[in-house]
Amino acid sequence: MHTSRSLTVVFTFFTLVSFGQLPVPTNGVKDSKAEIIALKNARIIVSSEKIIENGTLIIQKGRITQVGALVTIPKGAVVIDMTNKTIVPAFIESYSNIGLQDPQKAPYNPRPQLESNKNGPFYWNESIQPEVNAAELFKVDAKSAKKMQEMGFGIAITHVQNGIMRGTGAAVALGNILDHQAVVSNEVGAFFSFKTGNSRQTYPSSQMGSIALFRQAMYDAEWYKNHAKGAVNLSLEAINKQKEGYLVFEVDDQLEALRVSKLADEFNVQFTVVGAGNEYERINKFKDKKITFVIPIDFPEAYDVKDPFVSRQIPLSDLKHWELAPSNPYFLAKNDMEFAITSKGHQKASDFWKHLHLAIARGLAPEQALKGLTETPAQLFGLEDFGTLEEGKCASFSVFDKHPFLHTDATILESWTLGEQLILNKQMVMDIRGRYNLNIDGDIYSIKIEGSKSKPSGTIQFIGKKLDSVTNTLKNDTVNGKAFIAIDGHDVSIHFNLHTEKQNGAFTLHGKFTEKLGVFEGQGQLPNGKWARWSGIKNEKPDTSKDKDAKIVLDTLSQRMIWYPNMAFGDTILPAKQTYVLRNATVWTNEKEGILKDANVIIKDGKIDYVGSANFSIPAGAIEINAKGMHITSGIIDEHSHIAISKGVNEGGQSNSAEVSIGHVVRDNDINIYRQLSGGVTAAQLLHGSANAIGGQSALIKLKWGSAPEDMLIPDAPKFVKFALGENVKQANWGDYNTVRFPQTRMGVEQVFYDAFIRAREYEKRWKEYESLSPKQREKQNICPPARDLELEAMLEIANSERFISCHSYVQSEINMLMHVADSMGFTVNTFTHILEGYKLADKMAKHGAGGSTFSDWWAYKYEVNDAIPHNASLMHEQGVVVAINSDDAEMARRLNQEAAKAVKYGGVSEEEAWKMVTLNPAKLLHLDDRMGSIKVGKDADIVIWTDNPLTLNARAVRVFIDGESIYDYQTDEIRRHLNREERARIINKMLDDNQKGNPTKTFVKQKVKHWHCDTVGETAE
Amino acid sequence: MNKILFTALFVAISLVGLTQNKILLVGPKVHIGTGEVIEQGLVGIENGIITLVKNSLTFPYKKEEWDTIIEAKGQQLYPGFIAPNSTLGLTEVDAIRATLDYDEVGQFNPHVRSLIAFNAESRVIATVRTNGVLFAQATPRGNDITGASSLMHLDGYNWEDAVLKVDDGIHLNWPRTLAGGGWWASSSQIKANDKYTDQLKEITDFIQAAKAYAEVGKSRKFDQRFQAMHDIFKGTKRLYIHANELKQLLDIIEFCQSMKIPYPVIIGGYDSYMVTEQLHDAKIPVMLPRLHGLPDNEDDPIDLVYRLPKLLKDGGVQFCLQNEGDMEAMNARNIPFLAGTARAYGLTEEEAIQSITLNAAQIMGVDDLIGSVEPGKVATLFISKGDALEPKTNQVTTALVGGDFVKLTNHQIELYKKYKAKYSEEE
Repeated sequence: MHTSRSLTVVFTFFTLVSFGQLPVPTNGVKDSKAEIIALKNARIIVSSEKIIENGTLIIQKGRITQVGALVTIPKGAVVIDMTNKTIVPAFIESYSNIGLQDPQKAPYNPRPQLESNKNGPFYWNESIQPEVNAAELFKVDAKSAKKMQEMGFGIAITHVQNGIMRGTGAAVALGNILDHQAVVSNEVGAFFSFKTGNSRQTYPSSQMGSIALFRQAMYDAEWYKNHAKGAVNLSLEAINKQKEGYLVFEVDDQLEALRVSKLADEFNVQFTVVGAGNEYERINKFKDKKITFVIPIDFPEAYDVKDPFVSRQIPLSDLKHWELAPSNPYFLAKNDMEFAITSKGHQKASDFWKHLHLAIARGLAPEQALKGLTETPAQLFGLEDFGTLEEGKCASFSVFDKHPFLHTDATILESWTLGEQLILNKQMVMDIRGRYNLNIDGDIYSIKIEGSKSKPSGTIQFIGKKLDSVTNTLKNDTVNGKAFIAIDGHDVSIHFNLHTEKQNGAFTLHGKFTEKLGVFEGQGQLPNGKWARWSGIKNEKPDTSKDKDAKIVLDTLSQRMIWYPNMAFGDTILPAKQTYVLRNATVWTNEKEGILKDANVIIKDGKIDYVGSANFSIPAGAIEINAKGMHITSGIIDEHSHIAISKGVNEGGQSNSAEVSIGHVVRDNDINIYRQLSGGVTAAQLLHGSANAIGGQSALIKLKWGSAPEDMLIPDAPKFVKFALGENVKQANWGDYNTVRFPQTRMGVEQVFYDAFIRAREYEKRWKEYESLSPKQREKQNICPPARDLELEAMLEIANSERFISCHSYVQSEINMLMHVADSMGFTVNTFTHILEGYKLADKMAKHGAGGSTFSDWWAYKYEVNDAIPHNASLMHEQGVVVAINSDDAEMARRLNQEAAKAVKYGGVSEEEAWKMVTLNPAKLLHLDDRMGSIKVGKDADIVIWTDNPLTLNARAVRVFIDGESIYDYQTDEIRRHLNREERARIINKMLDDNQKGNPTKTFVKQKVKHWHCDTVGETAE
Repeated sequence: MNKILFTALFVAISLVGLTQNKILLVGPKVHIGTGEVIEQGLVGIENGIITLVKNSLTFPYKKEEWDTIIEAKGQQLYPGFIAPNSTLGLTEVDAIRATLDYDEVGQFNPHVRSLIAFNAESRVIATVRTNGVLFAQATPRGNDITGASSLMHLDGYNWEDAVLKVDDGIHLNWPRTLAGGGWWASSSQIKANDKYTDQLKEITDFIQAAKAYAEVGKSRKFDQRFQAMHDIFKGTKRLYIHANELKQLLDIIEFCQSMKIPYPVIIGGYDSYMVTEQLHDAKIPVMLPRLHGLPDNEDDPIDLVYRLPKLLKDGGVQFCLQNEGDMEAMNARNIPFLAGTARAYGLTEEEAIQSITLNAAQIMGVDDLIGSVEPGKVATLFISKGDALEPKTNQVTTALVGGDFVKLTNHQIELYKKYKAKYSEEE
């Protein structure tokens, strides 16, 4: 650490404004306080860049007036000697709810609550509470404050941790002070999360719903600011005010942090992200986006892995995170990212420091740690009075017996808040260790005091009776007895038992110790009850060679192994586009060429470069693969998938949730991505569920295992939305309480659609009218633009054929209905998915232009599938409907090739046409057939090599390419299995070491990931 | 009776309802079910029993001795496939409670019998047998001891004439060593079940008491539950123990040995591949989990479940397939393809067939009656145009249950025909 010994000779005169300076009536004469306090002979860590090794710090009216190595102590100052002590600026806790009560959650009611129960001119949703202001609700909580002071904190930014928009925070000084002194800054930052908090409103029930609601509220606020007349909305006013300040977003993992960064771009604001500790997993993404983090350091404890039956349950992802989490701060620092450190997750100071020291041991520089706890949060929240111990700042700091960032055994002694001292621990002022002759009431005994300086233990020696094992008689001999010692300042108490001829029983002694002379002197009580004087003189120095060097030891070995994704089957590097020549295979082109025998395919620059059996030249640097006896196809496209989605596949809170998007919640660490690659799937439509009539927007992805979510999304993909009909939409199987939401019958479903489309058209009309006017006319006629409505925007895109519907459907009556709705509104229903009764009106579908994406043979799971038949695909196909076979199921998606074969079995579709049902046809339904779905020059090189005819069970995908990158291959999979096992064993061994050291452990808790189907409802955003 | 000659191509349907005394199936490739194959076989049936299994190329037969002769050259004949551990017939529509008859209230229900709830006329069953699955072990679900299963033919007028073996065994759900898993949660938390020992003791106590009861016999006061358990200890009923986890499996082995259970069977056994030696030594067979299932753990090899049959075979453990899981009743028609998957992942074709025929029959203790195409066995078998283990080629042209021809249609086929006709009329 940089040390400064420069002289502070220039006196600066500050206007001394202390906190709480306004007179407050007191009972009696006002409190008497020292005017000036001088702390001398201290090591003063002024800031992350400056240390004064032996300096003085002058405090006047709660502020630092002088700090330096050569400071003249003003007259009238109370001087406190700080020899051997280290003064550290008070830490600033960025994420706290100290002094604020958690809002009460309304009692559970099985009937859904659709509307807000909050009275007053506020937003319509209870999870949007930006009007909450922490300062108004704050009450000093000295007990909790002390816990934080023990960690070294002096300031906390506190806010009510409830909801998506949580309101503003308050900067509060920690200590046993008055409420009106404690709040040092009002409306400090505005706080956000994706959690709905204590709201019991049904909307939002998913993370994508939370995101949509956040966006809508932001747009509403913008409109309110510029155009609202009349009705006041305090929530929107609060948002507008907050947007000018610091915005803080709490997340649960790095995926959510990526989502926050997208919101930041959309609204052109900057969020500080309260992270989750796994930012290292996607550090490059965050580096590029220049996000400031507040990072927790509550690193996971080791699992108890002593039982292999138990340890085998722990997923590799958890093991890897345990190893890497303490390096998270280091990774951020190494990438020049700005971050604050929070104590979030810690109850005890010892744990907080243990983790901080661990982070330092893993490579985080002590200056960076200090900065993250002081200067960075001060800067983030605009707390100019705090963060360093420079002149003019508030006198908020902690005093340690050692440099706390360098020594793991440093003890905090004092916490100063706004110039007020709080003693937390008494310093161990003396070292009493050594050998002494004790003189007690004229008798001499020898005592040896050893152990640690703060917790010494003693051995008393005396001549007593001892059993001689040879002669079996009692003889006089030297006997050792244990002596118990306690120290309090200069006072020492000792007690021990003696069994001599003269004394038999307990001695209890109390005395003072003079360290310079090595002498005890005091009074004590003898076994017989007699009081007597005692003394002790040191005759042998202590052996201090065993004193532990409590310095931090760097351990950077653990930083090496980040996998993408950081879990089983992940890899340290991502595949790159390469040139491949695939030779001598049977190629299912899905084009007019049909199935080619002994054909070759060339992959170059991510595209298909050549298909055929003629002569061709081998491109430079090409990797040749002999695929003789094998089959090559384009990758399988799953039209209906729910994998790789975070926190809720359904936003069922309202009957229309067209505003939500799966695209906002794609996750990259779903093992099913990898599993489905092994089944030849290269692309999928991730659909919203079917809990409501108008669901949410889809995400179209390629299964690029290892890539971040945004890199899995297909660029410039056509827009899709999920619609649904039938039992789920009318909540038929949701129990007896869910009978409130409209619609409860198929009759109502039709009206939901009409209502939404009619409103969308009106919305369009309002916009058109507005846009037809010149700015002058608008001003003249006092016309403002319509408020942006994300739901109606999506509906309008549908009506204008800019967004395509994939509609969950079973029964012919309602399928017919939706086609009529679409016809009357002037658009086409793109796809009916499931469409189990499609065979009954395939002719109508063909006429309307709707495609069908169906299960091969599912039925009997609910009433509305009574008439489902496995010949559905073939009958629809015969009528000219574009038919796909989909999974809606993480398991079945691995063998969609086999499901396609069932179209041959039931209804006799040709093999070539059956194969198209899982490749070209879904590409057509997804409007991606210009770049996917067949083996044609110029199309994306999404290619699978199969060991056999892909319509057979024997067929295994041995190679899978996406965009010309080798994303899966059978041999690499074998290697990964071994690597998984080795990596597991390596970390478990390390954990065992940790277990054996007696460090705290936790029993395993495994997150069992649910596999979602359309019907999965009730996902909470929590 | 006049002699009737047919080619096996759906036309056998017209024979349904007729009592056929002597039937001869000529020319199909016969998968005996024992591992043997006759390339062009000859299978004769008399009064519902297989009487003749020969090579049609070498065995001389007289056409006039047979009432019905079906030519099936180029096709393949299999023993009726078996769906063990199934709620088929006990459920009709998963989402409709009124149609669910497999889960009774109570912790120990050995006296509860699936048999009488079995709906022989189930529309689901009709869609299952058309793929060659001709038996189901109707099995109750529920708490610790769920009840008695019975082995049913998948064709019959009522449960009495459909049943092949009444109350073939009692089903016990072994306590799980892992607990947790909320229904609605996005990801539920699984942790060690700290009540495992207590739960295990409850079960042990019950079975010990049942065993003591069985030893004394009729001199005790009649107890419905213990009486139902009686034949377990005698060895005439199986004890089916549902369990998947490693510790469960080891504990079960120890339990069965100390309790001297004559015929225990493990159903599930996801982790069984780790303890094949112990299972082999203890002679405990396993009805493997649905092969079309995802690995339990994120870290497990992707194809682990597919490979279980091969792993157990290599470990010398007797096993068969079953398909408990989501929509298991309707999915029973895909059991042939589970066997196809087992073949793709290491079993030979005949071993794969055995895994849904003779192996299952042996495990359930009915291999003297069914499971293979051998003289003396019940004539429940089918002929498929192609490889019945592949979706593409599974086309059942003739099926017999107890020597009677099965009507190879169902409401789905009828609907198919109806709408096929609608569209062809329009054209």
